[in-house]
Amino acid sequence: MHVEALKEKISFKLNGKEIEVEADPSMRLIDFLREVLGLTGTKEGCGEGECGACTVIIDGSTANSCLVLTSQIKGKELYTIEGLQKGEELHPIQQAFIDAGAVQCGFCTPGMVLSAKVLLDKQPEPAEGDIKRAISGNLCRCTGYKKIETAIKMASDYMKKDGAE
Amino acid sequence: MEQLKVVGKSELRVDAKDKVSGKAIYPADIYMENMVYGYTVRSTMPHAEIAVDKKAAEAYPGVLAVFTAEDVTGLNHHGVVFKDHEVFCSKKVRRIGEPIAFVVAETMTAAKAAAKLVNVEYKELPAVFDPIEAMKEDAPKIHGDSNILYHYKLRKGSMDEAFSKCAVVVESTYETSMVDHAFLQPEAGVAYVEEDGTITLVVATQYPHYDREEVAEALGLPHDRIKILTAAVGGAFGGREDVTVQIHLTLAAMKLNRPIKTIYTREESFEAHSKRHPMKMKYKTGALADGTLYAMEAEIVGDSGAHASWALNVLRKAGVHATGPYTIPNVKVDSYAVYTNNPFTGAMRGFGAGQVPMAYEQQIDEIAKRLNMSPIEIRLKNCFKVGSETATGQVLEESVPLTETILKAAEAMNFEAKDQSSSRKKKGKGIASIFYGTGYGNGFPDVSNARAELKADGRIYVYAGATEVGQGAKTALSQIAAEAVGVQLDAIVFINEDTSKTPDSGTAAASRQTYNTGNGIKIACEQLRLEMLELAKEVLKLNTTVGLRINNGIVEVKSLPGRNISLEALYAEAAKRGKNLKIDRTFVAHSVRMDDETGQGAPYWPYTFAAFGVEVEVDTDTGKVDVLNAVCAQDVGKAVNPMLIEGQIEGGFAMGMSWTLYEDLGLQQGKIKNNNFSNYIIPTSLDMPEIKNIIVEAPESTAPFGAKGIGEPVMIPAMPAILNAINDAVGIRITKLPASPQEIVRLLKEKQA
Ligand code: FES
Ligand code: FES
Repeated sequence: MHVEALKEKISFKLNGKEIEVEADPSMRLIDFLREVLGLTGTKEGCGEGECGACTVIIDGSTANSCLVLTSQIKGKELYTIEGLQKGEELHPIQQAFIDAGAVQCGFCTPGMVLSAKVLLDKQPEPAEGDIKRAISGNLCRCTGYKKIETAIKMASDYMKKDGAE
Repeated sequence: MEQLKVVGKSELRVDAKDKVSGKAIYPADIYMENMVYGYTVRSTMPHAEIAVDKKAAEAYPGVLAVFTAEDVTGLNHHGVVFKDHEVFCSKKVRRIGEPIAFVVAETMTAAKAAAKLVNVEYKELPAVFDPIEAMKEDAPKIHGDSNILYHYKLRKGSMDEAFSKCAVVVESTYETSMVDHAFLQPEAGVAYVEEDGTITLVVATQYPHYDREEVAEALGLPHDRIKILTAAVGGAFGGREDVTVQIHLTLAAMKLNRPIKTIYTREESFEAHSKRHPMKMKYKTGALADGTLYAMEAEIVGDSGAHASWALNVLRKAGVHATGPYTIPNVKVDSYAVYTNNPFTGAMRGFGAGQVPMAYEQQIDEIAKRLNMSPIEIRLKNCFKVGSETATGQVLEESVPLTETILKAAEAMNFEAKDQSSSRKKKGKGIASIFYGTGYGNGFPDVSNARAELKADGRIYVYAGATEVGQGAKTALSQIAAEAVGVQLDAIVFINEDTSKTPDSGTAAASRQTYNTGNGIKIACEQLRLEMLELAKEVLKLNTTVGLRINNGIVEVKSLPGRNISLEALYAEAAKRGKNLKIDRTFVAHSVRMDDETGQGAPYWPYTFAAFGVEVEVDTDTGKVDVLNAVCAQDVGKAVNPMLIEGQIEGGFAMGMSWTLYEDLGLQQGKIKNNNFSNYIIPTSLDMPEIKNIIVEAPESTAPFGAKGIGEPVMIPAMPAILNAINDAVGIRITKLPASPQEIVRLLKEKQA
């Protein structure tokens, strides 16, 4: 996808682990994740910052990885969908998406889950309007969003019970 | 009847875990050793003769090949009904976006750069973009010597004096818009040659077995040399029925003997796949003084764009559904499919039955108004009931709960209560009821094959080529299998991803998988159960299979549970006897071809019904419409999985609402201007109303456990219900989609004048 350019050492925290890699700093972050690191859970639906399928978490906020350059993650803390579960155990948000029937084709799901995580990390008991706003940058063509909103409410309950995360 | 154990439960989706964890593999997620990349060169003119020079592109560093029409080893064509797409345009382009060449290089960057060097010389031809113009004798011709590729005629009763007997007649023309499926995952695929010479294609498709035929024919290979693996599909809605990447990739893999991948950008996706048929509809409906619908005349012209795709079937479905779900004794419908130089149109959720309600549902409301009846009353009076005869003469002998859906929707939304707001924002309520005929229709063989097999691990393997496109087929069909064999859901292994293993179960479209493939699976599984019990009887030395049950992976005598054999052991016993517990079954849906002159026949079965009510708020200054509430009463026959059904309804409503209010391709001279999500608007979470789902059950005796398909019917009533609500709010009639703010303001001004 990309012309070979000068590589640089880039260190950052990925899914909880410090890493240092040789990377082309001008590569789009989404390509770096998918093609270099093999983390294909991050999806590309538009490449223009409009759909949110490529959502990742950078320093606790959501970002569209199709609009971020690899150079911009130096020294940052990055989470992708692959970083949520512990071994076989799903994160409560992931479990809530399954339980609420919030998944159809699944292409928007990783981005939705990460947007939900940023919301719940900041606001463990979000109001309905907060939930809608938190996922308003993530398009879903299949679900009409209702079950996704339910899932986020459910996840808030699960996380309260767990006292986790 | 014994109580159902698995069917009817909101079982969790079998594919959900992979999808929430990012592990589900969509075609773009595949990376292979030594893989090369392909990029498609597409026409930039809507109608032109072409000459292609690819030398400069071939010489570009990193380029391995540039494939054009001359490189196609089999027949340079494809198409779901008529083979009127070329794999690569040879002499002529007929729309913007038609493939001309496929550039393959070591990197996508090189392929894209080289694509710019493919020199296409265009000699422009006169083009036509309006289907009504295209019907004229002297219009430029797209294929052959007429642009009219299909004409469906429906005749019932007599039109002589029919309208003169009516107390009220309403007449108008309506225009629906061309829209895109906008599934979230753009087209992508990977093809490679296996060691034994099999050419394997991994792709997101709705109908892998048909893709295999198309690929085989274009490559000039027997179809058993081709294997289609269905990756996770990121939404489809009809837009993955026609071939896009399939032939280009397999051709390149075969010629270069290297794995090859392509991924379309969003913009390219808009150019590559079909669209919803825009229809121009001239409608006239009359009713007697007591509100009995008495006569209807309709002329429907659908724009097929540059290729036929499913135009015949779509315009046929539009014609059959033109009356709406109402008994009307005198009917004359003509529907036409017409070629133009626009983007081609094909299958999209609703499939012709989705466009006509814009006309019939607004006209029935208008008739009610003029007769001083309520929209509910007039619908109840005329709607199909058990025993009603459709305009094609088909008698609906069972499972017609339309009255119930209308009543429930009306009650849940408190339809008669009116908001008397006098501010600049006006509220209004609207209702729409619809019907939808399942399947290919019109006597075409609608076949689903399925296989059920007991394997060594004691589980039941179900094989069917029914694609999971997000609708939940894999889960719902597994539930049907589990119920039919009499095991738990986790004892079913459902395999649908590989054409070399699965039988052909037809397309994941026409809302047919639950009914058709569900039936095929059910009869295969029931037979497998019988044979399993028969063998258990033998092994357990019993005199009958009566009194045997399957419980937690064990076949046991109900009254003597100690006398039992596990399914693993049963498999071993079968193997010992050289016996295969493997059943293949075929289900063929019932459909009787219609008469060519009168349209009389029994084209589809079963029909599914729905009534949605909505409340909207119209800003009379800006023209903006907000949908505040929706109540969706949906007939399902029998709910296989209520949670999946609710998800379908909510998503269907969103898609219908989006079509009605937002979506606009900005089509100009065959060119799509709005080709990304910054200007092609689909709803976000903030745009959605509250939705109340009401599942109405009326089991259909020919359906698996009574279940009918709902994928399409769940979106159809949204558009007409919103339009009727807008009328209720501000008194205007929308005759052209989308009901954009500009259009609403224009109509409000016109009304004041
Ligand atoms: S792919 Fe990044 S926002 Fe759509
Ligand atoms: S589940 Fe398909 S796009 Fe959201």
